[in-house]
Amino acid sequence: MKKPLHKHIAHHAKRFSSHFTKYLYERDTIFATAWVFIFILAVKFLPLPNLHFLDPMEIALEDFDFNDIAYSKLGKAEHTPLDPRIVIINIGEADREGLAVLINKTASMGPKVMGLDVTMDGPRDPHKDSLMKEAVEKNKNLILASRFYPGKGKEESSYSPNYFCTPTTNDGFVNFLSKEWATVRIWNPFMRIEKKDSSKPYQSFVASLIEKYDPESFEKLKKRKNITELINYTRKYTLETSKFPQYQVIEGEDLLADGKVDTAAIKGKIALLGYVDLNPENIEDKKYTPMNEEFAGKSIPDMNGIVVHANIISMVLDNNYIKKLPLWASLIIAILIGWLHMSFFIRYYLENHTWFHLVAKISQLISAVLFLYLGIQLFIRYRIKLDMSITLVVIVLTVDIIYFYEAFAVWLHKKWGYRTVFHQKHH
Amino acid sequence: MKKIQFLILFALFTTIVSAQDNSFLLYSYKGNVSVVDNKVESKAKVGQPLNKEAIVKVAAGSAVTLICNEAAMFTFVKPGTYPLKQFGDSCRVSSNSVSSNYVKYVWAQMTESHGSPGSNRKAYMNTVGAVSRSINNIWIDPRLDTVNYSGGDFPLSWKSYSEAKEFEFLLYNADNIGTPFYSTFVTKLKIPMSDIMAKIKPGNSYFWTAAVKGEENDELKVLNYLTKETFNAFLANLKKQGAAFEAPAEQAYRLGFMLEDNHYLSEAYNYYSKAAVLDSTNVLYRSTLMSFKKDYEIK
Repeated sequence: MKKPLHKHIAHHAKRFSSHFTKYLYERDTIFATAWVFIFILAVKFLPLPNLHFLDPMEIALEDFDFNDIAYSKLGKAEHTPLDPRIVIINIGEADREGLAVLINKTASMGPKVMGLDVTMDGPRDPHKDSLMKEAVEKNKNLILASRFYPGKGKEESSYSPNYFCTPTTNDGFVNFLSKEWATVRIWNPFMRIEKKDSSKPYQSFVASLIEKYDPESFEKLKKRKNITELINYTRKYTLETSKFPQYQVIEGEDLLADGKVDTAAIKGKIALLGYVDLNPENIEDKKYTPMNEEFAGKSIPDMNGIVVHANIISMVLDNNYIKKLPLWASLIIAILIGWLHMSFFIRYYLENHTWFHLVAKISQLISAVLFLYLGIQLFIRYRIKLDMSITLVVIVLTVDIIYFYEAFAVWLHKKWGYRTVFHQKHH
Repeated sequence: MKKIQFLILFALFTTIVSAQDNSFLLYSYKGNVSVVDNKVESKAKVGQPLNKEAIVKVAAGSAVTLICNEAAMFTFVKPGTYPLKQFGDSCRVSSNSVSSNYVKYVWAQMTESHGSPGSNRKAYMNTVGAVSRSINNIWIDPRLDTVNYSGGDFPLSWKSYSEAKEFEFLLYNADNIGTPFYSTFVTKLKIPMSDIMAKIKPGNSYFWTAAVKGEENDELKVLNYLTKETFNAFLANLKKQGAAFEAPAEQAYRLGFMLEDNHYLSEAYNYYSKAAVLDSTNVLYRSTLMSFKKDYEIK
C-alpha cells in the first residue's frame, strides 16, 4: 500500500533535518564549534609575528560593509519619493556677498529654517563681510556651519565656531567624525568637549536645524542619548539618478532671477544652502556614502555634503533610525549558525566522507549567499543592522577546524580515553 | 458571483481613485514655459505645485521637468501644449523586488566573465586618459563664423565627433541669444538655407548653431540676411575694382574670390561655378570650385 503524500513529505523532511541534527548535541560538535571561536579570538588578540603583509587586505576591508550592496546592487532607496520638507539651494561658487544675497532672497520666501553649509573661519573682504554679517543678524532662523575638532589621543577636543557666530545666532558643527576618505556611515548629533562644558553638548548642524523645524523630533533625538547614529540613506542627488532627483534642488541663479522660483518651493520648509555639483569629476565637498555604485574597491566620492545632511534630516524627521544589533547578538547568531554547520559537516565527514568536500564547499557557498540575503533583508525591511561578517567567517572556518579538532580528539582519546565520535583518523 | 462583481467594482474604484490623485511639481525648466492652472495662464515657476487639470505650454527650444506624486519624473522637450491629466501613466513607479535583484546579482557575479585586457578591450581600455578641451561634439568651420547671405542655395554645415544620428539646428534673434526662435532636428550634417528662409527676414542679423540631439552647443555663428539692394551695391563696388581687360571668366573667378573673402558664400559659389563654366579648360577654376563645394558641403 502506498504512503499518503503528507507522510512522504514528513518522512523526507525528517530525513533531511537529521543531516543537521544527528550530531548536534554531541560534545565533539559543541567543542569543535568552540574551537572555531577560540581560533578567531587567537588571531585577533594574540601578538602574532609580523603580519603586515595583510595590511592592504585590512585597509581594503576596513571600509567594507555587506549592507552597501543593498544600495548599489539591489535598488534600496531607488524609489524613495522626493522629500517635500527639504529644499536645497545650490550656492555654486558664490562668495560671501553672493551668499548674503542668497540668504536674504531665500528668507524672503518664508522657509521655516535655513542652513548655510559653508564654513567661514575668519575675516575677508570688509564690504562683503559686512553684508554677510547683516544677513546673519537679520535672519534669526539661519543655522551657520561650525566645526568640531576631536582631540588626538589625550589632546582635548575643541569647537571652532563660524566667524559670523554671535551669542544671538545659531550654529552647529557640519563635519562628520569619520576618516576623510572613509564612507560616511555615522553621524554625531551632539558632541561634548572632555572635562569642560559637561552640562551643554555642542549640536551638529542637522540637530540645530531639526530643533528649529520640528522640536518634537529633536526631543526624540535627544532622548536616544546616542553618541553616534548610523545614517539611514534614503535619497540621493547624483548624476546617475538625475532622472529622478529625490530632493528639490534650486540653482542659486534661478532663485535670484525674478519670478523664476515659486514661493511654495521654499515656504515653511528646511532650506539648505550648500554646494551641489553633479559632475563626477568635481569632488569638492563630496563624500563617500553607502549609496556609491562601487561598494568595494577604489571609487570616487558620490554625494555632496549638503545631500548627506539632507538624508540625516529626512531620517530624523521620519524617526527612521537604523537599529544596530549589539555585538553579543551577532555573536549568538554566529554561534548558532556555526554550531548547525559543524553538526552538518561532521555528519558528512564521518558517514559520507567521499562527498564531504563537495558538500562542504557547496553548503558554505549556499550559506554565505543565504545569510547575506537575510542580513540585507533585515536591513532593508526592518532597518536592523546585523553584522553578518562574523557569521560568514565562522562558516568558512568550520571545515578547517574539523580537521584540527579530529586530530585533537583522537590524541585526547589515545592519551586520556576521551570519548569521541572520531574513532579513526580520516587524514 | 456577487463576490466577483464586488471585487471587479472594488478594483475599478481603486484604479479610478488612484488615477485621480496625481499631483505634479514643476521641478525645473528652461526657456519659455507657461502653465494654465485654474484657467489662469502664467509663467512657469520652479517648485510650483500643479494639479492634474493644469496645462503646461512649452515653446520651441524650451524644456520642462515635472515630478508626479513625488515619485516619478518626466520631461517635455518638444514644443506643444500638454494637459497633465493625459500623463497619468507617467506617474507609475516600477518597483523591483529586492529578492529578485539579489538573485540576479549573485547569478551575475557567479557567471560573469571578467575577461582580460586582451579579450575585453572595451572594459579594460576605458580610462579617460587625459583632460579634454573643447568637449563640444560639434565643430563648425571658422569660415562659417559669419555668413553674409542675400539669396541662393547654400547649406550651413558642421562636423560631428560623435556617432549621433540626429542633430538640432537652432536659430536665434540677435537681441535674444538665450532662447532660439526656431529649432529643428535634421539627420544630415547640414541644413539648406531654403529650409530656414521662411523664418528669417532680409535686413536682419541672426545667430545659429547646431548640436547633437540632447546636447547643447554654446558656440553661436552669425548669419546676416542682407537685402538684394545691399548685396548689389556691394557687388557693383567689387566689379569696379577689376582690371581694364578682364575676361568674363576671370571676372567671375575674381568676384567669387572677393565675395568668399567677404563671407558672401552663397554668392561666391555662383561666381565660382560661372567661372568654371565660362572657361571649362581652366584647371584652377575647376579645382577651386571643387574645393569650395567640398569645404562647404555642397553636393
